[in-house]
Amino acid sequence: MIALTRLIAKRLATASLVLIGVSMLIFAIARVIPGDPARIALGPNATDEQLAKLRAELRLDDSLPAQYAHFVSELLQGDLGISLYTNRPVTTDIAQFLPATLELVLVAGTMMVLIGLPLGMLSARYEGKWVDNLIRIVSLLGVSAPSFVWAVILMLLFAFYLPFFPIAGRISEQYAIDPVTGFLLIDTLLAGKPWAWLDAAWHIALPAFALALSGIGQAARLTRANMVETYNTPYIEMARSYGFSESRIARRYAFKPSLIPSLTIIGLDFAAMLGNAFLVEAVFAWPGLSRYGVAVILRKDLNAILGTVLVISATFLIINIIVDLLIAWLNPRIRHAEQKP
Amino acid sequence: MNTPTLAIDNLNLSFKGLLSRTQVLHSVSLNVEKGERVALVGESGSGKSVLARLVLGLLQDQRGVEVSGRIGFAGTELDQLSRAARRALRGRDMSMIFQDPTSSLNPMFTIGNQFHEVLQRRTPDLGTGQAQDTARSWLDRVSIPDTDRVLASYPFQLSGGMNQRVMIAMALANNPTLLLADEPGTALDVTVQAQTLELMRALAEDVGTAVLFISHNLGVVREFADRVYVIHRGRIVESGSTTAVFDNPGHPYTQALLAAIPRITGDGIPDLPEQIDLSHPAVHHNTGPAGHD
Ligand SMILES: Nc1ncnc2c1ncn2[C@@H]1O[C@H](COP(=O)(O)OP(=O)(O)OP(=O)(O)O)[C@@H](O)[C@H]1O
Ligand SMILES: [Mg+2]
Repeated sequence: MIALTRLIAKRLATASLVLIGVSMLIFAIARVIPGDPARIALGPNATDEQLAKLRAELRLDDSLPAQYAHFVSELLQGDLGISLYTNRPVTTDIAQFLPATLELVLVAGTMMVLIGLPLGMLSARYEGKWVDNLIRIVSLLGVSAPSFVWAVILMLLFAFYLPFFPIAGRISEQYAIDPVTGFLLIDTLLAGKPWAWLDAAWHIALPAFALALSGIGQAARLTRANMVETYNTPYIEMARSYGFSESRIARRYAFKPSLIPSLTIIGLDFAAMLGNAFLVEAVFAWPGLSRYGVAVILRKDLNAILGTVLVISATFLIINIIVDLLIAWLNPRIRHAEQKP
Repeated sequence: MNTPTLAIDNLNLSFKGLLSRTQVLHSVSLNVEKGERVALVGESGSGKSVLARLVLGLLQDQRGVEVSGRIGFAGTELDQLSRAARRALRGRDMSMIFQDPTSSLNPMFTIGNQFHEVLQRRTPDLGTGQAQDTARSWLDRVSIPDTDRVLASYPFQLSGGMNQRVMIAMALANNPTLLLADEPGTALDVTVQAQTLELMRALAEDVGTAVLFISHNLGVVREFADRVYVIHRGRIVESGSTTAVFDNPGHPYTQALLAAIPRITGDGIPDLPEQIDLSHPAVHHNTGPAGHD
């Protein structure tokens, strides 16, 4: 337990440092790139007075360190400033758009784990047989194209030519769901509307699958490689010598030791989905953080850019920490590291 | 006369690589009777472990493995059994003590957990509590102190000698008809090793377990075995009762092996000079196949 607590503390400290670095970097870059945010926000007809007033409100005439100090002091009070694009607090905007993105990424991540790992397991168990060859081809295909390409292909095939799935959006218009968590798959259940839940699941299936495909391929390939190696270890031979069935050996004795080395990379892939989600969201008109992010970047909406980047980085880091903890929890070597006096 | 528990007849094994084919066993024949303790001695790489693996049926399915000859187990031809029937024998009627103790136990599960599953091979609905009790008593018998701690440990938390004792206990726990013991004492100190030998002897005498004992250690072999087979580069070069082979070695390889004993400090067979006459015919001391003195 002490080991785990220490691990969490260490990872949180690193994560905070990373966040500080990212915030400084984005803060500086956003201000250095050309274009006057006040001019963009107020349009070509604004008077010099109006411009000066907004610039003063935004503290754009202060020195960069002074601006950053101000930003940090506001941030510590949970305030990310006002978006010039929506005229609302950035925190409100993010609270509205982030859940859609997170829901997409979480569903895709779940698909990656629930499809990729079993595929890799099957592939290793039937190494060299046709099942293995088939899975290897499919997973190679999965990793060979980026997710937005898959998004376009899948949308054309299964939403456009064969209209099995909806082309855009998170849920059909006839359902009015009060946002509680912002996750439609949860809110529909909270509202007690199973049909709405099915509709939301039907909407999320294709974009999430497109987002997950390369991760599924990667997870399958990694799991296969690690498991093939595990199959050559003496402890698998010993399990066989005790007459345990091959399926039990695959599920129990070979899978778990093979999972740990794969997990780190699967975790990174999972976190990388946050970035890939931007383009997939664009293809499927998914009302997530990406549309907001692109819009605020084009408008040089400083507060909104910084807020979006920070929230995404923080989510990325949190996913990483969770994966690390999962690895530590699964691996008895780490879990029991502190037991010896 | 009874059917032998293990009857290997004319067994050949080769590994086929991309370009080459290496024959590792050359028409090996070997018997172990019920309750008999038979040793297989030979230098490193002579094919002792692959022989044991073939008996269990662990090598046959591997790619590039070519096997011919027959292996009989208590009157059954093993290669005529279905894969499932063959698997059913393992862990119940035959078990093996592996050479490398620490890496042969699964790193992800506790000893108690692994022991439980081994015991369930014999008694499928054995509960955790009962399994713990049985495991504890077996660990006692291989003189493991603090059995509760060991049962709750993972293999990497235990020493090599501890793991070896655990493996021996697991292999004996289901009272197998045939025990394949591959170098079962290498990581143990002398007293514990003597104790484990005593356990195997008791199993052979009380339950009638046939023991095929693979070892480098000629001193231990002389102490433990009823009969001895000497294997050299995949061929049985000499066989017979322990006394006959040790007192009256007929093959030049056996003679060189025995001449080397006084120079052996610990266990293990030293590299012998290469001038051994390989064309020398195998020597079989005629003590009868049962070989009980
Ligand atoms: N899977 C395999 N593929 C190819 N060759 C193998 C394989 N397994 C064993 N061999 C070869 O078979 C021969 C016999 O190996 P084996 O492990 O039976 O030796 P051993 O007598 O047990 O030696 P040791 O006393 O060192 O354990 C060796 O030359 C080894 O290289
Ligand atoms: Mg060996």
